[in-house]
Amino acid sequence: MSSIILPGRRRGMRDKLSRLHWPMIILLTMIAGAGIVTLYSVAEGNWEPWAMKHGLRFLAALGLMIGIAMVPIRYWMALAYPTYFAALLALALVPVIGEVNMGARRWIEFGGLQFQPSEAMKIGLVLGLARYYHGLRAEQVSHILYLIPPALMIGAPVGLIFIQPDLGTALLLAATGAIMVFVAGLSWRIGFLGVAGVAASAYGAYRFDVLHEYQVNRILTFLDPERDPLGQGYHLLQSKTGIGSGGLTGKGFMEGTQAQLKFLPEMQTDFIFTVFGEEFGFVGAVALLMLYLAVIYLGLSIAMATKLHFARLMTLGVVATFTLYVLINTGMVMGLAPVVGVPLPLVSYGGTVMLTIMAGFGLVMSAYVHRDQDMYRSGDFLG
Amino acid sequence: MVSVNAHDPERQEVVRRRTVLLGGGVSLLFAGIASRLYQLQIADHQKYVDLAQNNQFNKRVLTPLRGEIVDRFGEPLASNRQNFRILLVPEQARDVDAVLDKISKIVPVSEEKRARLMREIRRRGAFTPVQIADNLSWEDFSQINFDLPLLAGVLPDVGETRDYPHGADAAFVIGYVGAVTERDLAAQESDDERVLLRQPGFKVGREGLERTYEKELRGAAGAMNVKINAHGRVIEEMADSAVPPSQGKTLALTIDSELQAHAMKVLAEPTEGVDQDVQSAAAVVMDVVTGDILVLASTPAFNPNDFNIGIDPDLWKDLNSSPYKPLLNKPVSGVYPPGSTFKLISTIAAQRAGVKPSETAYCSGRVWYGNRYFHCWQRRGHGTVNMKDALKHSCDVYFYEIAKTLDIDLLADTARKFGLGQTYELGVSGQQRGVVPDREWKKEYFAGNPAQQPWFQGETLSCIIGQGYVTSTPLQLAVMTARVATGRQVRPRLVRAVGDLVLPAPEAPLIDVEHDHLDIVRAGMNAVTNEWGTAARSRLDDPDWLLAGKTGTSQVYAITAEERARGLTKPEDLPWARRDHALFVCYMPFDNPRYACSVVVEHGIGGARAAGPKARDIMRAVAEKDPASRQPLDPRTVARAPGLRET
Repeated sequence: MSSIILPGRRRGMRDKLSRLHWPMIILLTMIAGAGIVTLYSVAEGNWEPWAMKHGLRFLAALGLMIGIAMVPIRYWMALAYPTYFAALLALALVPVIGEVNMGARRWIEFGGLQFQPSEAMKIGLVLGLARYYHGLRAEQVSHILYLIPPALMIGAPVGLIFIQPDLGTALLLAATGAIMVFVAGLSWRIGFLGVAGVAASAYGAYRFDVLHEYQVNRILTFLDPERDPLGQGYHLLQSKTGIGSGGLTGKGFMEGTQAQLKFLPEMQTDFIFTVFGEEFGFVGAVALLMLYLAVIYLGLSIAMATKLHFARLMTLGVVATFTLYVLINTGMVMGLAPVVGVPLPLVSYGGTVMLTIMAGFGLVMSAYVHRDQDMYRSGDFLG
Repeated sequence: MVSVNAHDPERQEVVRRRTVLLGGGVSLLFAGIASRLYQLQIADHQKYVDLAQNNQFNKRVLTPLRGEIVDRFGEPLASNRQNFRILLVPEQARDVDAVLDKISKIVPVSEEKRARLMREIRRRGAFTPVQIADNLSWEDFSQINFDLPLLAGVLPDVGETRDYPHGADAAFVIGYVGAVTERDLAAQESDDERVLLRQPGFKVGREGLERTYEKELRGAAGAMNVKINAHGRVIEEMADSAVPPSQGKTLALTIDSELQAHAMKVLAEPTEGVDQDVQSAAAVVMDVVTGDILVLASTPAFNPNDFNIGIDPDLWKDLNSSPYKPLLNKPVSGVYPPGSTFKLISTIAAQRAGVKPSETAYCSGRVWYGNRYFHCWQRRGHGTVNMKDALKHSCDVYFYEIAKTLDIDLLADTARKFGLGQTYELGVSGQQRGVVPDREWKKEYFAGNPAQQPWFQGETLSCIIGQGYVTSTPLQLAVMTARVATGRQVRPRLVRAVGDLVLPAPEAPLIDVEHDHLDIVRAGMNAVTNEWGTAARSRLDDPDWLLAGKTGTSQVYAITAEERARGLTKPEDLPWARRDHALFVCYMPFDNPRYACSVVVEHGIGGARAAGPKARDIMRAVAEKDPASRQPLDPRTVARAPGLRET
């Protein structure tokens, strides 16, 4: 260990709290607030069964986030690989002891609690990759030998989640990993080759019946929504109708007929943006998008502000996951992406995803609070 | 400094550049999402508003009540009654099979029916409701309503169905309604009509007046917007926007349902001393002044209510295979040799040929003409007979003597003048013309056989007594009698009023014959019943209602010499289908004719024996009621169901 002390010092709890990124917290709270309002409307003006729970969960998750933020970033860095491998182990156990639910094996029981290892892997992969690239020099990033570990780190969980089967999460995870490898400095040449390879294997998967029929149908319906208006395309058509009929200023709070008359499926989860768009119109929907975009920009600025390479990449990974959620969900309900069952972060009802997102932002906050700390590549603490 | 610099500037620079790139990319993608929002919510806004409206609002077609058919005094012959039924909207049920399974627990749905429903759904599209079951009991209907939350896409419905309160009595006049066929749909002029016909359980007229007056009876569809949710459940009915349906027009007939029912009962009564249970018979009663048909009866008859619900295949087979032809509308579609009733025509034709009523002929029981004997029905002969006696006793030989020189074309012309050989505009289908033979007819009839084409005078001998080629329907015989009684070209009619429009009685100009010629015919008919002629048993005792008639017995099968030698002389010994037809025509009162009647009893053996008494019983009831003296229904006073008044 070196004796060189780089800028950065141990801080007290109070000091740390003041160093939290409060604008970010306010933005996240506003987004969750939009979720509460919409869930209240979906339940036809009732706090039950969703709105109240959503709010309480957010408060709990906010506490968790701040708690994570208080933990020095070096601990998280130390926990990066263990977290990754624990999540991978849990994923590997799913086919053995997992619960079958809705035709897919995604859950495992853990001390009486249901637990979705694929959600944990979203954090685990970000941590793992960030930790890995923290230890590489710039010229090593694009070296073929140094590409093998990240490829395996991404490929293994994606493969396990794909066979559950959960195409949406698998793609989300793969995209997150790819983005992290990209920002870490992968050469453009290898990047293009990689994209081409993914495209080729996707075609192969389609040709050789690797995908489940419902997955193929979802993709075909995405390509041609009017293919089967009462089947797979039904949800999409109803969703577009809801958003489109909202118009510039929307039909007003609790006035969305598509939503109130139950033409939309899964309104409280995957299709909540439709309800929001129908009731608050173009103005409301763009405002919500702006909130998300603001969170993303703040996230990117935090990444720039940290000195620690691990913290930087981890922050970018969390922001990438968050961004992908928003883009895939909004794109999906408007017919720009296949209907793959990705929720809208902090607005959709659902505890696990909220926990994942807020835990992720907890790490981002930790990176921000401890932005002045730095370490050796080896992981040894510099400060 | 250690060699490993955590602040690898190159590494940091790459990440910084890539992050900026990432930020730019994310901004672009968000711009993409925003522009998609713009496209959906601003550019194509109206399209989605319309789609949302369609989601929320369903246009429900309000089926009009079918117009009633009433008799001359307003008594309903065809009306509507409540029908509890369940419909299914396939689009809203999603899994039609599962829903049918659930329904089957309350109302059985057979595999056959299920297959038919599936075909119907495929043909009509997922958005059109189909009828799963109708004519449900109140208990079953309540149970379905109770279970409704579990039955997606199921619509309980209280519809209207056709009801024929008089059942079989007026079956042939009214006809019946049936399910809509593809051909019906193709025949419609407008899409609106097609939409109406596609309504579940909608019926159209299949036979009789129901078919002829389909357009008038159907009425016009109304429409109402209903607000529905995604399960097709109606949340709200938009009564403000509703266009009410208008009931079809009421069809007021000339029929007197009481007399009609009485006639049906009389026709069905067996003839005394004849071993035959089922009477295959027809009767027509006409008002000779207006042409109104008061009775158009045919036995045995079917019950049109059986057809309305959907006829049982076994019953259908029975109806079709019965020798008594219960589906044949005998008054207009049954064709019989008129027999001696045709002598009314022959008498007039003879006078037109110059024969004087006072001229006599000697009847020895038979006459030799050509190469054979022509027999009188009275084997022992009538002695010397004049024209009136010939009618009174129905002497065949008298007419044979006339026929030896009578021009067949003159006989045919006379028959046509008095209404034979033609059909009438009644609105009931299947009317037969019968045959009034003349030279031209024979040439055409034997177009393929030149040797048979010339008219042989011997054939006139058969025709003059209503045998040979001559055939007619009971309706034609009633018209003939009415024309003889009045000397006017009486035209029969069945429909008095359509909606509020009362149709004028058809004009009946005088027939272009010497009217003196008719006097002797009428006197002869009076003698038949009232002066101990062939139908003395069929007279009416009421002096105000003197009945003048004429019997007829038309041969179906000639008893051979060999059969005669075996001792088979009585027609009762023949099988039913070989027995002679019994006919009777009459009118009353003799001095001021108002009603004419014809009765045909198929294979009834003798006109005086089987047909006469039935005609008498019917005419007695007519005389008692005297419907022509009563004010018929004014259609403008017909009450309609509230809310369905035409606007």
